[in-house]
Amino acid sequence: MTQYDVIVIGAGAGGGVVAAVLAEAGKRVLLLERGRAQSFDELGRDHLRNHRLSQHGHSTGPELDGNPRVFVDPAGQERVLQPHEDGYQNNAAAVGGGTRVFGAQAWRFLPQDFQMATTYGVPADSSLADWPIGYDDLAPYYERAEWELGVAGDEGNRAIWPRSRPYPLPPMSPGRQGVVLRQGLASLGWDTRAVPLLINTEGYNNRAACIRCQHCVGFACPTDAKNGTHNTVIPRALATGRCELVTEAMVTLIDTDSAGCVSGVSYVDREGHHHQLQAAAVVCAAGAIETARLLLNSASRMHPRGLGNQHDQVGRHLQGHYYAGAAGLRAEPVFDGQGPGVSTATCEFNHGNREVIGGGMLADDFIVLPIILWKRMLPPDLPRWGQANKTFMRENYRRFLQVMGPVHEIPSPEARVTVDTSVQDRWGLPVARLSGTTHPETVRTAAFMVERAQDWLEASGVTRVWSRKPGLYLSAGQHQAGTCRMGADPRTSVVDTCGRVHGHDNLYVADASVHVTNGGFNPVLTILALAYRTAEQIAHSG
Amino acid sequence: MTVLTDPQIQTLRAAVDRIIPEDDYPGAWGAGVGEYLGRQMHGNPQFPRDIYRAGLDALDVEAQLQTGEPFCALSAAAQDDLLAQIEIGRVVSSWQVDPAAFFAFLVHYTMEGYYSDPDNGGNQDGIAWKMIGFEVRG
Repeated sequence: MTQYDVIVIGAGAGGGVVAAVLAEAGKRVLLLERGRAQSFDELGRDHLRNHRLSQHGHSTGPELDGNPRVFVDPAGQERVLQPHEDGYQNNAAAVGGGTRVFGAQAWRFLPQDFQMATTYGVPADSSLADWPIGYDDLAPYYERAEWELGVAGDEGNRAIWPRSRPYPLPPMSPGRQGVVLRQGLASLGWDTRAVPLLINTEGYNNRAACIRCQHCVGFACPTDAKNGTHNTVIPRALATGRCELVTEAMVTLIDTDSAGCVSGVSYVDREGHHHQLQAAAVVCAAGAIETARLLLNSASRMHPRGLGNQHDQVGRHLQGHYYAGAAGLRAEPVFDGQGPGVSTATCEFNHGNREVIGGGMLADDFIVLPIILWKRMLPPDLPRWGQANKTFMRENYRRFLQVMGPVHEIPSPEARVTVDTSVQDRWGLPVARLSGTTHPETVRTAAFMVERAQDWLEASGVTRVWSRKPGLYLSAGQHQAGTCRMGADPRTSVVDTCGRVHGHDNLYVADASVHVTNGGFNPVLTILALAYRTAEQIAHSG
Repeated sequence: MTVLTDPQIQTLRAAVDRIIPEDDYPGAWGAGVGEYLGRQMHGNPQFPRDIYRAGLDALDVEAQLQTGEPFCALSAAAQDDLLAQIEIGRVVSSWQVDPAAFFAFLVHYTMEGYYSDPDNGGNQDGIAWKMIGFEVRG
């Protein structure tokens, strides 16, 4: 007699959905989360400790002490990093995971995003590949995520994303910057879209509408109008009475029996007590870095290289998103204080660019916090201090305009998560070691997208435009993906087309680890959709 | 408890007020950057206290050596000239810390105090946000 039908590791985007679907299907579910359930007041509005700027800390888990990672930079220098430091590739550990504090952009991937190798060929030394499933396989689950969590979007999106139902909520109306940028897109004749958002533009699911506040991305929502898993599917799972949520629970091991079959998990609770629990199935949804680390740390006699890793695939193809963009100044102020800020996008350059592989979406930015403007977005030739700097901030904060977007990365098998046995976390577990970079083709695509961002601003009445030239580095961060690639062939992938780990009957992955490539879009809606699909498979498999 | 000496405080105050000078809006010190730095020094385990104190001492020694006056006694223009030299690491006295790294650190922390939220100790009464036009309405 097992104690649970399913143990889900991680209460973020994927884990929250899996817990709800399975609990509602009658399964006994244990949902383990290393972070905490945090209120709006606990998460706060510290401009130096949030998930947009974690200068001196951040607002959620993982705690700064006891959760190091090793980062190997492109020159081969190793550093041990705390969660808020550059290079750690952090994502929020909390009930809701990244969705507790995200910007809530709710993009579907495009049909071509699932067929990158077929469309473009495979660059040397890259691991560019097609997904083993396509857009049509995910479309019903995208729709389910849109309706069950709540997405505000524009029906015009039907033209490039075939769909059977409209969005449940009307799109966010553009503020002044959106109006200006839509005029620019119109003058260029470029594709123009309202950014779909997991935000209630009207009351939905018994929660309030967005009040257009100034602290959206990186922060919690003051009116609970931002739809993460913490306020949608996880409460639904708990309401069944069949799902138990344990927070501050650190899973140390996926347990296997003497035959090598997954039997449950071991975890340490907040008091430091060790537990070993049995389950008929285990679902990893800890994020692309921690899921890979846990599979590798769960090595046993029958699985000496870690679970699902007989072909050295776990942890490879780590990717996230390069952000390509440009910034500038308009003669007239564009700041109107209307959050979230992002409202307007173009998908003109996601595909079909002759010079480069793939591309990406470009959109306007969330309201930029003053200290973030100073740290990250000033013109390169501006003095960093003195009266000239103060005058610039004073005269231009409200005239500043930025467009940017995620570049569809060309993955490299050498960008990877391994475990470092010489550095341990507070539970004595080997930590994640991050090494490698994206493929150089990503840099070329990013440079191309920077130029398109410049074009867009110049067409929008921006008189002074600047940008940074992209370099070669590892990106993962909040959009981390790819470390347990989905595929039909166990020699080149980790999970099958349903998210089940090759060679196992009852071990699944339900986070962005399974993404073959990560699209030219924010990935959360794809994570949610895949989780619905995988959960349905688990429910049907008995 | 780690504290600064009076001369270190005078040097600090003079330096941050050149990093963000007073005009019809307050300079760094007047907006609470001193309070921000104090909280960082006592509350942030990663705050580089040794670089901070050694850099302030060295800045004053540098001023004495180049001009015969302590840094805080120089004119604003002379202070700016000296800081511009330190920014690019051009110094004549013997520094125990990298002068350019010290200055970059001081600039970053001064900006953090001035432009981040008032709960961090600087930007008192949201004065910097009023100046640039960032309004928190919801």
